[in-house]
Amino acid sequence: MPTIEASYQDLCELIGRRIEIEELKELVNFAKCEIEEVEGDSLKIEAKDTNRPDLWSSEGIAREIRSRAFKPSFPEYEVKSSEVVVRVDKKVSKVRPYTVFAVVKNLKVTPAFLSQMIQLQEKIAGSLGRNRKEVAIGVYDFDKIKPPIKFTTVKPDGIKFIPLDFNEALTPREILEKHPKGKEFGHLLAGKKEYPIFIDARNEVLSLPPIINSEYSGKVTEETKNVFIECSGFNLKFLMPALNVMVTAMADRGGEICSVKVVYPDKTIVTPDLKPKKTFVDVSYVRKISGLDLSLDEICKLLEKANYKILKKGKKIELLYPAYRNDIMHQRDVVEDVIISYGYNKIRPEPLKMKVEGKVSEIELKTEKVEEMMVSLGFQEILSYTLTSKDNLFRKMNLKEEKVAEIENIISENWCVFRNWLLPSLMEFFANNQHVEYPQKIFEVGDVVLIDKKQETRTRDVRKLAVAIADSKVSYDDIVAVLDAFMSLVGAKYKLKASKHPSFIEGRTAEILVKGKAIGIIGEIHPSVLENWKLEMPIAAFEIDLSFIL
Amino acid sequence: MASYKLTEEGKEYLEKGLPEKNLVLLLDSMPQKTATLGKLIPKIKNFPIALKWALEKGWVMKKGDEIILMKPVPEEIPEEEALKKIAKGKEVDEEILKILIERNLVEKVTETYKAVEEALAKAGNVVEVLTHELLVTKLWKGRKFKPVDVVTVRKKLELNKISPGKRQPYLQFLSQIRKKLAEMGFIEMRGPTIETQFWNFDALYQPQNHPARDWWSTYIMKYPKFGNLPKKFTQAVKKAHEKGIAGSTGWGYRWDPRIAMKLMPRAHGTCLSARTLANKPKIPGKYFAIARCYRPDVIDASHGVEFNQVEGIVLGEDVNFKHLLGLLKQFAEEIAGAKDVKFIPDYYPFTEPSCQLSAKHPELGWIEFGGSGIFREELTKPLGIDVPVLAWGLGIDRLAMFKLKINDIRNLFSKDLNWLRRS
Repeated sequence: MPTIEASYQDLCELIGRRIEIEELKELVNFAKCEIEEVEGDSLKIEAKDTNRPDLWSSEGIAREIRSRAFKPSFPEYEVKSSEVVVRVDKKVSKVRPYTVFAVVKNLKVTPAFLSQMIQLQEKIAGSLGRNRKEVAIGVYDFDKIKPPIKFTTVKPDGIKFIPLDFNEALTPREILEKHPKGKEFGHLLAGKKEYPIFIDARNEVLSLPPIINSEYSGKVTEETKNVFIECSGFNLKFLMPALNVMVTAMADRGGEICSVKVVYPDKTIVTPDLKPKKTFVDVSYVRKISGLDLSLDEICKLLEKANYKILKKGKKIELLYPAYRNDIMHQRDVVEDVIISYGYNKIRPEPLKMKVEGKVSEIELKTEKVEEMMVSLGFQEILSYTLTSKDNLFRKMNLKEEKVAEIENIISENWCVFRNWLLPSLMEFFANNQHVEYPQKIFEVGDVVLIDKKQETRTRDVRKLAVAIADSKVSYDDIVAVLDAFMSLVGAKYKLKASKHPSFIEGRTAEILVKGKAIGIIGEIHPSVLENWKLEMPIAAFEIDLSFIL
Repeated sequence: MASYKLTEEGKEYLEKGLPEKNLVLLLDSMPQKTATLGKLIPKIKNFPIALKWALEKGWVMKKGDEIILMKPVPEEIPEEEALKKIAKGKEVDEEILKILIERNLVEKVTETYKAVEEALAKAGNVVEVLTHELLVTKLWKGRKFKPVDVVTVRKKLELNKISPGKRQPYLQFLSQIRKKLAEMGFIEMRGPTIETQFWNFDALYQPQNHPARDWWSTYIMKYPKFGNLPKKFTQAVKKAHEKGIAGSTGWGYRWDPRIAMKLMPRAHGTCLSARTLANKPKIPGKYFAIARCYRPDVIDASHGVEFNQVEGIVLGEDVNFKHLLGLLKQFAEEIAGAKDVKFIPDYYPFTEPSCQLSAKHPELGWIEFGGSGIFREELTKPLGIDVPVLAWGLGIDRLAMFKLKINDIRNLFSKDLNWLRRS
């Protein structure tokens, strides 16, 4: 979810009227935005629609508010020709195959314009462009460029230019090594034999996409009158809307959009393409989904507020919508726009009249019974994370490491594997509470994750119960008494079979059997395990799989 | 040889004479050396015993109601002599000992008795702790109990503090939510902790390699890496993504089954709704889940390592957006105790329209209490569902924190035993 910064005054100017901040907070909801912070003139806005980059800037938010709350007018953008040609060398197909261009002229570049432009560019390249991998955007001072432009590739040391915010000329290889942006995004060119580059007719470098612009032309300031915009990447489906969002935002501040001819080895395209797109919605579908009893005219008015143009009224309403939108896939998307225009809070909520019977799942019902039984035996329930460390699970329990469900992109070694038994969670709890009065009698009922190749997800959740007593003196007999009481509460017959387990003292450990099947282990925790956890009180514990009662 | 001691009865006879002796002495004092039962019974304690033994020894004769003295009163009675000896700890003849034991006048001194007696002697014949043994041996009788400090409590607690068994408060809170939702007609759903991306993303129409996929960041599994795809739904989901389904344009990219097969810890509870839709749900029907979820967030006071999501779906031929708002309002009122609600346009990749629920909690003020929407047809159609599906999720952790009076979300999984004991 992009979070953007905006100037309150600038936003009001773009909307075309002064709006009190409290009212503005309501109005930005039309653009699926929320004002999170207000500090003087500065607003922090959360833009919730990740599929609507046109709403990630003051210009786009203002456009939505103008039309929804005040005066609907279909946003149509005229595109003149700039006569500029960009030639795409076939060599780029291996590194960054596509690019689209536009020129925006006669701009009045203000600080607000600049900050919004840079922010929008960053948000699009970051989110929609997946950190410049899919979409990288460059904006240049058009008057410093001599067309035609060439999009080609160079060897890593094949050219030298001064990158933005530097004062010495570097080769692309040096930029990747030395420039902060080179370090940040260099991995996107890793392993490439040649790097993509934009060069003008005088052989001046525009940029090394997706890394950095040149200091010479790739800098837009308040003195800039005309800008040249380029998006590069791997898929025109992403590049076109990104370019459209950029240029329409600039046009909303008075810029004139001009097209550029991009000549590929096999085709020529003219960008940007701001021709409105066609869609439709069925009146009956609007009514069915919204539950609102709206007339055809009402629906059309609500659609106009949402920046649609009505082409044909009827059972099926034919529509145009602006080319900066790339999110309309189904008439359901149009229905939402109708409802947003209507106003969510003007709708009277209707109670669901559905005669159906609810049910808590069997496993949770049984789990709660087990919890109540353990409480009745005087034990305190605890709740732990299911993620833990290998150190807790294995080394501290005197166990050899084995295969357990493990996470790739961990944020900490402390939470990198799923527990395959509960007792380490209880030990960790004891270790955290050594200053608290003893005896400490605790239990946890929870899921562990076991590897199971036969399952669709290669794993299986198993609900278990672990119980432990820590006290200055505690023995096998103490814990067997608890197990016995628990088993008689659940009404299960069990047997104990002398057993060995590295976490427990030999000769004071048993397997717990129900109907001849091993369901768990009981015993006195081995003093070396206690030492591993830095515990100074003896502990007796048992752990069982609850499947036999579930 | 074992030692013997007098029983209570034995001690009484030693002091007051054997009852049969007392009987003949009484008869002897009478002029006729005879008396009726009516006269004797009130005067002789343990009369039946006295009569039994006097008859047996041939000292008296019974004639109807009359008891007649037959022999003069003997000077020495062996039983009495033996009782005297035993009381002094001396040995006695075995035969007489047998009789005395039979008559329950003498008993063997047990090991326990000796031990208790010794311990008492050590303690100056004062009872410190009343024990089972003291009760059995009756040695407490006639002894003083050492007084204890009946006023100071602290010392006792240090030695033996009682901590009652208790439920974990957050789990108890979740149980209440669970019961509440079941009461509202929702059936609980279940599903695996580790999911395929298919159920976590693809079945929810979240495209691969698109920002909607990392709408929030998620974990991926290192081991095991890949799961199976459900054959029945794979083709339809692929089509929905690539070319569209039910009149949709689709996302328009090449859907990769290898990505969908990747395993991940469930990042939201919505995958349970997807599984339910695919598994012949009841129509009309209401379902809910309380699902443990995993996202690699930065851990702070409002982001835990793990968290629980409460969410669910409502399926019905005639359900619509107005019903969704009605349901949200009901949740706000019945679960958050809110009087006032606000609905705010929102975005989720899998619902359209989408709506955020803001509820005015009596004490917390306005809180974001839920996210919701109507599942997109691109999601429901491939899973074989032809009716609208309302989907909702509730942010109950904030409410739990308020109820449990904690400020840090990580404390829902508290590691503090003192706090758990107090809460």
